[in-house]
Amino acid sequence: MTEEQRVEEFKRAVQAGRKVEAGDWMPDEYRQRLIRFIEMHANSEIMGALPERDWILRAPTLQRKLAVTAKIQDEVGHAQLLYRLVEDLGKPREQIFADLISGKSKFHNVFHYPTRSWGDVGVIAWLVDAAAVISQSALLKSSYAPYARTMRRICWEEAFHLKHGEDIVLTAMMGTAKQRAMMQEALERWWEPLMMFYGPPTPPEQDKDLAWGIKSRANEDLRQDFLTKYVPRIREIGLRIPDPKLRFDESAGRWVYSDIDWDKLVAVARGNGPASQQRLGFRRLSYEETAWVREAITGGAELVA
Amino acid sequence: MQIYEVFRQEREGDPMVHVGNVQAPGDDLARQYAREVYSRRGEATRLWLVPRAAIEEIGDAYFLRPPIERSYRMGEAYRVTVQKRRQLAQEGAHES
Ligand SMILES: [Fe+2]
Ligand SMILES: [Fe+2]
Repeated sequence: MTEEQRVEEFKRAVQAGRKVEAGDWMPDEYRQRLIRFIEMHANSEIMGALPERDWILRAPTLQRKLAVTAKIQDEVGHAQLLYRLVEDLGKPREQIFADLISGKSKFHNVFHYPTRSWGDVGVIAWLVDAAAVISQSALLKSSYAPYARTMRRICWEEAFHLKHGEDIVLTAMMGTAKQRAMMQEALERWWEPLMMFYGPPTPPEQDKDLAWGIKSRANEDLRQDFLTKYVPRIREIGLRIPDPKLRFDESAGRWVYSDIDWDKLVAVARGNGPASQQRLGFRRLSYEETAWVREAITGGAELVA
Repeated sequence: MQIYEVFRQEREGDPMVHVGNVQAPGDDLARQYAREVYSRRGEATRLWLVPRAAIEEIGDAYFLRPPIERSYRMGEAYRVTVQKRRQLAQEGAHES
């Protein structure tokens, strides 16, 4: 069998539902795509901990402080699980971090925006995590089995984040006019990043990650699912979605919404978002400041060995 | 640094199930990492840490499932037994 035939056979097998393990033979393109996809996911988890980190000290009650702290620890834990997968695929952690802090690799667009109020903390934990649960649940069917298994744990923990966020939003909506206005204002700022969350509506047949079975559902499909589940829940509690064109088209069976500026998404994801450089700067600083911890750990190992 | 595969038991009496792995320079830190990563919400009653190098994997399909007829080991081969019982019961009915 030639290399080409072997690759074609592999592709057919994953499309037919075959699951791949870390030690199995895999085509180079599959490995490289997996590394890029999972690395971005992992980077997003660790960068996603930063916007909420700012609110640990400012959370209104002890209960909320503990919940925010627990969520942040979960997100960092998710990054730990995912970085292990990337390392097993052949990219060392030092390289992953070097690429992240130099801006060479990417992290999710939603983490390039600042958190201005406590309203943001609620909206992020409820709706950004809800959006993430939808895409991560689709990854339970990934052709790369170690990734799919990791997603079981991650989705389980995301469910707590959703509840925590929803509770913050509902509590504010039951409060004063000022609290409600704070939530409305936060939702208005977050709506565009949320609509961009799943990326452009790339036709499924052109999406290589779908072809390799790395992910199992098309971007637009995920966005439609998000709108179906969350538009009613958002409206039900008295929040207004800042898109006058948003409606469910019964005859087409899908949501219609205002055009999305996809060039803006590309620019944001490349590091030109309102908080991109500040976040990367912070990640760089904390990576440098914790160098002694890594040295102590690996140095300790040498002494033991 | 070493990789430890982590197995978790969620309730007494349950089997140890593989949940993932951690990377650590030694057993002590591996224990801490395993607890933090795999039992933050008290999901485990027990964890096993196994250095990855100690795992011997067999994944050879031909070795595990050789193409040999083995239906005689399975319940399906005894479907005919049900018919036998029915047949005997009928014959018994004739005699009495
Ligand atoms: Fe997460
Ligand atoms: Fe989360």
